[in-house]
Amino acid sequence: MERPRIASQGDLLRFLAENEDVDPARLLPLPPPYEDWVDEPIKEITEDQRTRIEVGPDGVCGAQIPVPKSEEEKERLVAGFLSGLRKLLTKENNWTFLQPLLVSMENCVKCQTCAEACPIYTASGHMEMYRPTFRAEILRKIVDRYIKPGGNLFPKLRGNDIELDWETLVKLAELSYRCTLCRRCAQQCPIGIDNGLLTREIRKLFSQELGIAMPELHELGTVKQMAVGSSTGLNPAGLMDIMEFAEEDITEKTKLDIKIPFDVEGADYLVLHNAGEFLSWPENLQAFAIILEAAGIKWTLSSELVGYDSVNYGLFYDDIQFSRIALKHYEVAKKLGVKKIMMGECGHAHKATMAAADRLIPDPLRVRTESCLVTLEDLVLSGRLPLDPSRNDFPVTLHDPCNITRSMGIIQPQRNILAKIAPRFREMEPHGVDNFCCGGGSGFAVCQSLNFPDWRTRVAGRVKFIQILEAFADCIEPETHKYVCAPCSNCKGQMRDLLTYYDAWDRCGILYGGLVELIVNAMSDIPEGFLEWEFH
Amino acid sequence: MAGIGLLAWVWVAVIGFIAGCVMKGLHYALTPMHLRWDLYPVAHEPRRDHGGSYLEEKDWWTHKRRTSLVGEVSAMGEEIVLLKGVWKNNRSLWWGSMPFHWGLYLLVVTTVGLVVQGLGWSPAILSIVLPWLAGFGGGLLLVGATVLLIERSSSPKLRPYTTPLDRLNLLLLLAFGAASTAVVVTDGLAGAGAAVASVLRLKPLDVTPLLGLQMALGALFVLYMPYTRMVHFFAKYFTYHKVRWDDRPYVAGGPFSSRLEAALQYGMDWSAPHIQTGRSWAEVVTEVPEHDTKGGK
Repeated sequence: MERPRIASQGDLLRFLAENEDVDPARLLPLPPPYEDWVDEPIKEITEDQRTRIEVGPDGVCGAQIPVPKSEEEKERLVAGFLSGLRKLLTKENNWTFLQPLLVSMENCVKCQTCAEACPIYTASGHMEMYRPTFRAEILRKIVDRYIKPGGNLFPKLRGNDIELDWETLVKLAELSYRCTLCRRCAQQCPIGIDNGLLTREIRKLFSQELGIAMPELHELGTVKQMAVGSSTGLNPAGLMDIMEFAEEDITEKTKLDIKIPFDVEGADYLVLHNAGEFLSWPENLQAFAIILEAAGIKWTLSSELVGYDSVNYGLFYDDIQFSRIALKHYEVAKKLGVKKIMMGECGHAHKATMAAADRLIPDPLRVRTESCLVTLEDLVLSGRLPLDPSRNDFPVTLHDPCNITRSMGIIQPQRNILAKIAPRFREMEPHGVDNFCCGGGSGFAVCQSLNFPDWRTRVAGRVKFIQILEAFADCIEPETHKYVCAPCSNCKGQMRDLLTYYDAWDRCGILYGGLVELIVNAMSDIPEGFLEWEFH
Repeated sequence: MAGIGLLAWVWVAVIGFIAGCVMKGLHYALTPMHLRWDLYPVAHEPRRDHGGSYLEEKDWWTHKRRTSLVGEVSAMGEEIVLLKGVWKNNRSLWWGSMPFHWGLYLLVVTTVGLVVQGLGWSPAILSIVLPWLAGFGGGLLLVGATVLLIERSSSPKLRPYTTPLDRLNLLLLLAFGAASTAVVVTDGLAGAGAAVASVLRLKPLDVTPLLGLQMALGALFVLYMPYTRMVHFFAKYFTYHKVRWDDRPYVAGGPFSSRLEAALQYGMDWSAPHIQTGRSWAEVVTEVPEHDTKGGK
C-alpha cells in the first residue's frame, strides 16, 4: 500500500499537526539471512508518561521535554522560542555559525536532491517528517512569518501561513532529534545547503534559550562532564581504579608490565580518550597503551576534570557548552606542556577538538592536534611495530565515522593500516566520505531512555546494518567470525545495540570493535588472542 | 510615453538587481568568522579524489599547504555547466532543470552581447551568433520552466514544498522564455539590439509590442531575482567557498587571531539557565556556572 502522500503546501503544515507512527512493515527490507525478519513495533509511550513528557509526531520520545503545566507556560515558551530565534540571527549571539546558518536558511530551492541520501528517511519507508528538508522548511516558515519584516503580507502566497503554537514547536524540537547530523544530505546538495547544520541550529536555539535539550547530552552529558569530570560519571578517583584494573588486564593478557602514565609534563602526546572506552571497552585503552609503549612514545593521560574524557556533546546541541569543554581540553594540554594532543578513537571528539574548535581557541592556549589514525598509520607503516597479519585471518570491514571522514577528510590512514594487518579486509558500500552513519550519531548512541533505543536500532541504524550484512554476504554463516572495525566510541555504542537487536552475533557471527585492538591482535611479540571473540 | 516608461522600468530593474545583489552579498560577507564546518570532499584538496584532507598528513603544519585551483574550477564547472549533482541524485528533476538553467545562461550571454554591441563594438560574429543564442535560450527556458512547473505541481516530493509564489515565478519565466523565442522568430535581434543601445544611451525605446513585453518581463525577473532563492547563483560562493570548502587552518598570530579576539568580546543574551546572560563570550565560556558545578541530575 502506498504511504499517504502530502498533496500541497498546506498539507505540509497539516502533516506536522498530525502524527504518524513508524510502521515496522514499511521499514527498508533486510538482506539475507534476514529476509524473514519481523521487526518488533517501537514501544508505545504510555498514557501516564504522556502526561509528563512530550512525544514526537512519530510516537518516539528523544528530547524528553516536560509537558507544560499551563497554557500560560506554553505561551511563555513560544514567546521564548521566537526571542531565541531573533538571537540566533544576530552576530553577537551566534557568531559561531551565523554565516553557515544564513546561507543554508535562505537559499534552499527545495529540489529534494538530498532526500535519498538520508539513511533515516529511506530506512523509515520515506516517512515525510524524516525528509532532510522537512524540519528546515518548518523553521524557514517560522522565520519568514514571525521574524522577517512583512511576514504577514500574503502568507499563503509566500508559503508562510504557519501559525506557531507550542504543539508545533514541540514537534520541531523532537524532530531535531531524528537527524544524526551526519551531513550526508549536505554533501549531495547542489547548492551547498546543510540541513544537518539547520537541525543543529534548531537544537541549539532550544538549548541556549529555553534550556531544552536531550538530557543525555545536557544534564547527563556536558553538565555532568564539567561537574564530575566525565559524562560517564567517572571521577578522578574512579579513573585511577580503572587504570589499575587495565594494567592488571594488560599483564594478564600479554605478560607486559605497563604503567599507564598520568600527567606527564612535556610528553609528546596527551592522549584524549572517550571515557566511555574505559568503562565499556577497556581493551581499547589497553591496546593504545600497548602500542604506544611498544613504539617508545612518550605519552600521557590527564587526571584533571574533563581532561580525561574527550567527549564534547556540546558539538551536537549547544555552542556554549561546546566552547567550555573544548577550551578545557586545550587548557589541560597547555598546562601539561605536551607537544601534541592525540585524539583517541572517537569521531565527534575528533571533530570537536581538531576542526570545530580550531577557530575557537585563543593563541595562548593553542596546542597541535593529531588524529590517532594518523599516528597509528605512521607506526604501522614505518615498521616500528612487529606485525603478523595472519593473526587477523578473518573477515574485517570498516565503518567510517562521519565526523572523521565526511567532516574532516581523514579517510586513507585507517585503510593503509588495515591493508597491513587485515588480509581479509573488505569495504562496505558506499564508504569513505560517502559512508552511511551508524545511526548513533549526534549523541543518539548514548540515549537509552523510553522508546528512543527502539527507534535508533530499527530506523536510524538500519541502513548501516544492511551495509554490514552485505559486506559479509560471502561468509555470513555464524561459524565464520567477522569483525566490524569501528574506530569511534559512539559508533561502537550504536554497533553494540544494533547487533544485539538483530541478534547478529548468534545469527551471523558478527563482532565489532576498534582499530587498535586489531593492531595489537596482529603484534607478533605478544601472545596470540588479544581479541576475544565474545560479544559485549 | 510608453518608450520612456519602458526605459525607466529597465533601469529600475538593473539598479534594483545590482542593489539587491550587493545587499545580499554584504549580508553574507559581513558576518563574523564562523567555526570550521568543512565538508568533504573539498574540491581544492590535492587528496580530493578519495575525499581526503591535509589532516591525513602527520605534522601537516610543518608542510607547505597545497591547494588546487583546477580542482575547484572543475568541481564548480561540473555543477554549473552540467548540474552534475542533480543528474546524479535527482535525475527526474534534471530534465527540467538543465534546459531551464541553460536557457537562462544563453539569454544572459545574449544580453551581454547586445550590451557590447550597444557600446559600439560590433564584430560580425556577434550578429551571427546572438540570434541563435537568444532563440535557443528562450526555447530552452520555455521548455525547462514548463517541465519544472509540471514537476513542482504534480510530484509528491516537490509539491508540498512549492509555494504559490514559486509557481508564479516559473510562470513568469515560462512567459519570458516564450516571448524571447517569439521575438527572435518574428523580428530577429535587430530590434532588441537597437533597444539595448537606446537603454544604454538613456533614449526612449521604440519597440514592437512583443519586444516591449519581452523586455518588461525580463526586467521584472531581473528586479526581484536577488530577493528570492534564485540568488543561489552567487550564494553558492558562500555555501561552498566560505563554508564547506573553507578548511583554512587557524594560525596563531594570523588573520583569524584578531577576528577571534573580537568575536569573544561580543556580548550574548541567551536566556537558558546554564548561560550567564548579558556577559561576553569570553566571560561565559571560560566560567562554568555555579549550578553546573553541582552536577547534573
